[in-house]
Amino acid sequence: MTLPLDSRETVRFLAEEGYKYGFVTEIEAESAPPGLGEETVRFISGKKGEPSWLLEWRLSALAAWRQMTPPNWAKLRLAPIDYQAISYYSAPKQKTAPQSLDEVDPELLRTYEKLGIPLKEREVLAGVAVDAVFDSVSVATTFKEELAKLGIIFCSIGEAVREHPDLVRRYLGSVVPQGDNFFAALNSAVFSDGTFAYIPPGVRCPLELSTYFRINAAKTGQFERTLIVADKGAAVSYLEGCTAPQRDENQLHAAVVELVAEEDAAIKYSTVQNWYPGDAEGKGGIYNFVTKRGHCRGARSKISWTQVETGSAITWKYPSCILEGDRSIGEFYSVAITNNCQQADTGTKMIHIGKETRSTILAKGISAGRGQNTYRGLVRVLPRAEGARNHTRCDSLLIGDRCGAHTVPYIETRNPSARVEHEATTGKISEDQLFYCRQRGLGEEDALSLIVNGFCKEVLKELPMEFAVEAQKLLAVSLEGSVG
Amino acid sequence: MSGRAAGRVSALAAKPEVQPYLDAFVLPEGEPFWLWREREESLARFAEEGFPSRKNESWRSIDLEPLAKNPLFPLAEAPQALAAAGAFQGALLARLEEARVEKKGLLFVLRDGRFDPALSSQGELPEGVRLGSISAAARSETLLRPRLKAPSGPFAALNAAFFRDGFFLEIAPGTILDQPIEIVHLVAAAASLSLHTRSLVLLGEESRATLCESFIGEGRYWRNDRVDIALAPSAELSRFLILEEGENAIHFDETEAVLGEAARFSSCAILLRGRTLRQETNVISEGRGARSVLNAAALLSGRQEANIVSAVEHHAAEGETRELVKIAASGRAHGAFQGRITVHPGAQKVDAHQLSQNLLLSPRAAVDAKPELEIFADDVKCSHGAAVGDLDEAQIFYCRSRGLPQREARGLLIEAFLRDVLAEATTPLARHLSSRLSRRLATLEEEP
Repeated sequence: MTLPLDSRETVRFLAEEGYKYGFVTEIEAESAPPGLGEETVRFISGKKGEPSWLLEWRLSALAAWRQMTPPNWAKLRLAPIDYQAISYYSAPKQKTAPQSLDEVDPELLRTYEKLGIPLKEREVLAGVAVDAVFDSVSVATTFKEELAKLGIIFCSIGEAVREHPDLVRRYLGSVVPQGDNFFAALNSAVFSDGTFAYIPPGVRCPLELSTYFRINAAKTGQFERTLIVADKGAAVSYLEGCTAPQRDENQLHAAVVELVAEEDAAIKYSTVQNWYPGDAEGKGGIYNFVTKRGHCRGARSKISWTQVETGSAITWKYPSCILEGDRSIGEFYSVAITNNCQQADTGTKMIHIGKETRSTILAKGISAGRGQNTYRGLVRVLPRAEGARNHTRCDSLLIGDRCGAHTVPYIETRNPSARVEHEATTGKISEDQLFYCRQRGLGEEDALSLIVNGFCKEVLKELPMEFAVEAQKLLAVSLEGSVG
Repeated sequence: MSGRAAGRVSALAAKPEVQPYLDAFVLPEGEPFWLWREREESLARFAEEGFPSRKNESWRSIDLEPLAKNPLFPLAEAPQALAAAGAFQGALLARLEEARVEKKGLLFVLRDGRFDPALSSQGELPEGVRLGSISAAARSETLLRPRLKAPSGPFAALNAAFFRDGFFLEIAPGTILDQPIEIVHLVAAAASLSLHTRSLVLLGEESRATLCESFIGEGRYWRNDRVDIALAPSAELSRFLILEEGENAIHFDETEAVLGEAARFSSCAILLRGRTLRQETNVISEGRGARSVLNAAALLSGRQEANIVSAVEHHAAEGETRELVKIAASGRAHGAFQGRITVHPGAQKVDAHQLSQNLLLSPRAAVDAKPELEIFADDVKCSHGAAVGDLDEAQIFYCRSRGLPQREARGLLIEAFLRDVLAEATTPLARHLSSRLSRRLATLEEEP
């Protein structure tokens, strides 16, 4: 079966067909009053019954955040955000923690159904362990026991804090410190929940771990925190997918993802981000400010980021790798699509510290409508990184004459034995290629979709099977109306 | 020449690094009122902006701290005749001689930031060519007024406030000049100072000229040079810059070229000597089908730092840009390239290519590259590439297997690497430029 993700059609779908995942689940939410101060942090921490060290940790992040100003270097145009007008906590109302799926609010389950999350029986068939996050609190965790047999811990951060405090304390904030940047500091102060995964030494996780994040209650920012640790010789593949209900007001999302790979460990992190991008006039849509960073601590460790960014009004996201272990490997594969008034400033950072570290960057940007798409990446080779190697390729495709595609690579080399290469191209679909396809009998639409598909193929093939299905879903819907 | 103090500006609350310059500001006598106004406005702008900080994206790779701590002032008085400058004379004349492309060519010398007729060639200018001091031209011609407006950017503003001289080159429409016009910027003063020269190049329709500017000097000084270039439709200008500044010199130069329809601008800068070098070229492609070629090379050693900055703005359709920047850094040198090509909405069919290649020749050298594309039109062909690495072992082995010692093999390969940027130079110029490059390379290899 081919996987014809026709990106051009995808963006057209997003523009014209409305937003398929735009529905609101009516669940009574228990929210904190809008505003951010010490009380808010104490409220969140208290709600979650956290130990005092975590409260202190949050408060110091808040103190750091207060000293900071929002970054303005990205090529993004947005109105200033009033951080005091946002409610920082919202939890689905539950009297006690659910013991089985039957106890979970049926309304919630139906939401997952619409999204196609394989809970219940389907979960076994799909082979996916799902830690479903609905408005900040983890409601149901599946496959936990199966994973527990292997010693794998896969739960919500809140649960991990209670049951594995030593692990959390050791790794939380060790890759993205509390004061790392404006949004990471904000997240550290008010993060509500998220996912924690620990793979013990020598274990290869037999399942693709997956979480669906969903923003629901209006005016509630969502502040997820993900921490994945692969101990020596461990391997794990993690999937993250996002959809959100249709809203008029901009919703703020500031997540932090931390990955730690010890010696010989491998982490693969895949994302399909399909949040509400706002309407054709740029009204509404999610503001997505994410800090994602992986730390290859041990020798021969590997971290690989794959992302397909099709949603959000604003995307500010730079999944990075700190390649500290000798011969460690960092990878970044990205497809970013902006249409209508969407703006994306995304890319990666590869920091080469250890000897013979290698990194690969492959970024594909597609701009349509009035969308602005920026690749911003840093490759830094430090003096000790003997024999480091980087190859970067970023290509941009422009559809229409009112959009923009920008490439801003930073290359900083401090070691003469390093080889760093960067190449980038920008253009519209080649007339030659179109002519060739049409000459062989393909219609213009088909030819176009063939070429666009080929343009993204190198990145899409990095997606795990589960996401290939999601990508196909996106495509299937986007092709509606374009045929016949 | 004593001048009028500008009380209005020095009363402004200023950043600490700015204050000494406000105090030293005087308006030159005998200048038209409009120029005084421009100077005062520029000074106010500089006072407002201050020195760019490291957070300023465009200045992030240069350390301005030493300059902020030890301000360097422009010469208040006109320099004495060179004969009186004494000790330096012999050595400087020899360097001036070296900087010549052709003995009989047109020569314009700016000594310590002012036109020196004694050192410049006295020969008659070809028909349709006007070459002289900008200061003299500005005093007599109000036509220059729109061309000498206060520019943006802190150091350009400082330049506009303090400049005392520069060259003014005007080529009449249809004039074709085959011989290069040589401009030598010479620093002969014994004292530490700053030099702010501001020059203007205007090429008429379908004219063609070649300009070769050499920057030479000894000791510690700060050169802050600004050149504005305007090319009328179908005009062609090739410009070559050779930076051979004093060992402790700071050199900033900034060029803004505005290109008319089908005009062609080519620039080639070779950064060889000087402690801190920053070479900035901004091209504004206004006319349809305007073409620009921006080449630059830097050969650095010791603790030199060099920053090659460029920005090309395509406002019109069918423009073309070719950019090639090569940096070779040894010792503890730090080279950086920041280039941006912007294609504005409607500028369809633009074809732009940017290539940054860098050699790291020692474990403590550093190179940064930031090639940037900003595209707002869809029917364009834009690409860029960047690469950093050491010399290829296989190439060195090849040379050595042919009997070349290690040092010579490396030298040969470095030279071959850098000479690519000279593609635009014609024979006498190409010979001159590559001899300067070889000369620098010879001294580079002597360093431990």
